[in-house]
Amino acid sequence: MKIKVLLSMVLALSIMFSLSGNAPAAEPYNLGVALGFTGTGTLYSKDQMEGIQVAVDEINKEGGFLKKHPIKVFQQDTQTKPDVGVRTVKDLILRDKVRAVINDYSSAVAVAVKPICREYKTLHIAAISNSENITKINYSPYTFQVVPNSYMQAKAASYAVAQMAKTKGWKEYVTLSSDYEWGRSTQEEVVKDLKKVAPFLSVKKELWPKLGETQFASFVTSIMSMKPDFVYACLASKDNVTFTEQAKPYGFFDKIPYVGSMQSVTELITEAKTMPRGLVAISRAPFFAHLDVPMMAEFVKNYRAKYNGKYPSDWAVMGYDAVYALKQGIEKAGSIDTEKVKDAMKGLTVNLTRGKLQFRPIDNQLRCSSYVGVVKDDPKYPFPILAELIEIKAADSERPEAEIIAARQAEKK
Amino acid sequence: MEFTFLFSQFMSGLTYGLMLFLVASGLSLIFGVMNILNFAHATLWLIGAYICFTFWSLMEAHQFALWVSIPLAALATAATGWVCEVVLIKRIYKRELHEQLLITYAMALIFGDLIKIVWGPTDRLIVRPSIIQKPLFLFGAPIDSYFIFVILIGVAVAVGLWWFLKYTKYGHIVKAAVYSREMVGALGIPIPKIYTWVFTLGIFIAGLAGGVQSAIGSVTLGMDMNIIIQAFCVVVIGGFGSLMGTLVGSLIVGEVFSFAILYWPDGAMVLIFVITAMILIVKPWGLFGTPLRA
Repeated sequence: MKIKVLLSMVLALSIMFSLSGNAPAAEPYNLGVALGFTGTGTLYSKDQMEGIQVAVDEINKEGGFLKKHPIKVFQQDTQTKPDVGVRTVKDLILRDKVRAVINDYSSAVAVAVKPICREYKTLHIAAISNSENITKINYSPYTFQVVPNSYMQAKAASYAVAQMAKTKGWKEYVTLSSDYEWGRSTQEEVVKDLKKVAPFLSVKKELWPKLGETQFASFVTSIMSMKPDFVYACLASKDNVTFTEQAKPYGFFDKIPYVGSMQSVTELITEAKTMPRGLVAISRAPFFAHLDVPMMAEFVKNYRAKYNGKYPSDWAVMGYDAVYALKQGIEKAGSIDTEKVKDAMKGLTVNLTRGKLQFRPIDNQLRCSSYVGVVKDDPKYPFPILAELIEIKAADSERPEAEIIAARQAEKK
Repeated sequence: MEFTFLFSQFMSGLTYGLMLFLVASGLSLIFGVMNILNFAHATLWLIGAYICFTFWSLMEAHQFALWVSIPLAALATAATGWVCEVVLIKRIYKRELHEQLLITYAMALIFGDLIKIVWGPTDRLIVRPSIIQKPLFLFGAPIDSYFIFVILIGVAVAVGLWWFLKYTKYGHIVKAAVYSREMVGALGIPIPKIYTWVFTLGIFIAGLAGGVQSAIGSVTLGMDMNIIIQAFCVVVIGGFGSLMGTLVGSLIVGEVFSFAILYWPDGAMVLIFVITAMILIVKPWGLFGTPLRA
């Protein structure tokens, strides 16, 4: 009888335990998001956050990472300033105990945050900031980049221009670059690259408007009088807008192909009415380039459902991909332990909206594509898209590993 | 080089020159009459551009939005200028030139930050009415059709100022004050009031120029610091305080810059500074200016 009572008690206790969850509740995964919600990066950061949120919602619906670690997002504003970025990321790590930080629009902020994440052994995902130096030098095993970096984008542009030049029979071009360090060095790189990939092209004239030029009319008429086959522009972003606005009333873009500006889906949507058609533009992750990838199609559907029919921009796509890259790193590690996840992500091939892509082991740069196309209206969308799209794969645009090793050795000296 | 392209380049230079004239004429007028070197002039010009954008965005749906916004921006900027004169400028009439420059430079920085607070760091873009979105062809050369409006405004301001100074009673008082403010004061004419209105008029023209500029490209932070240097070049070449000098100086700068882009792009900006330096050496008071008042 006593044994029966004892057994019943043991049985009752074990049922109680199992009902209340005898294992301790799975720990949530604290994910930090430190973006420039104010300052120059506002627009892109807002879009990126939306992409992150869609991914988090989807993953949490299935129970979170590893189906048991619900993601808890801690959001901070870096104001697109490196000093504020450092402060907010420290807060996220020390106060909110985040295991990973997605950060920032500004490369300057991402570069400043990198050593903090390394110091506190926290994963750092640069989802949209694309300076090559985030991963090339001062290497951190905790930092991963899911956006095509500045080197890849510059190479991609040259590659695409060379292809266009061949098909369209272009021979001469004019460069138009802002007269300061970035403008000069980018122009120099472009001319050097084009000499290699399209030796039949020659520079007709180099024009150097000063940074912040407000009157481009003389440049516009001067270029039109030279009748080049195309113009390669390396203008700082604001100057690029001013130039296009002033060149448009001359019918400039109907006559001369204008290459070199970055037009993400954000610009294609916000400047839908004003953006000149015919621009040859570069982009980082346009959704319409990969609608054949089921993950992208699903993302676009979910994103539009959540945000009143709005189409996701490049920044939203990369924000979404950043969370899914982390998810697949955690799945490979089988744990949310940061050290294990960091090791698992090194060289990992991940399935993202942009296809199956690998993190390059030497620098943790995602081997993603860049995109070059012509701004054209498309009846499928209420804004222009990049038509005649050329996808330049990482293999054709990434910096050779030997150069990265040399840069790191030079850094040590 | 074909005539059409040379003509097109000439028209670009003419417009550029007249835009500079709109900025520099107020600067020169204020200096000529009040002896105030206003470094914040271009920042008030930029405020005019931002105000124009604000008015335009309120009426965006209408084709007339831009045409109404420009004069409204000029008036609102003039009101800002009036407040500046009454609150601050009035107190620095008798200060040394370098002190005035420092104070007005501080004003430029303060206004720059105020712009950031009010309008934010994002570029502001005005969509032009459809009537001026297509090029106009003159002698076969493509011309931005909005530039015809810019040229008309430039000419109207030049003629209006000339008429005001030559044929109106207040114009005569202003001209007299340039030469001897004490004598004008002794005649019972309230000099401080005249100064307030001259300053307000100068800033009105700056606001008008800002409104006109706002439809030429995006309105962005820092535009003022670029144009103020060129405006100073214009008044140095033409002569501080001389309307005719400012007009001629503006056209010289505009055309030299425009044709240099065509033939010697690397030296386009340098040429303007070389001309400015040469004028300073050979004719320190500019082509049409008179020696500075003691």
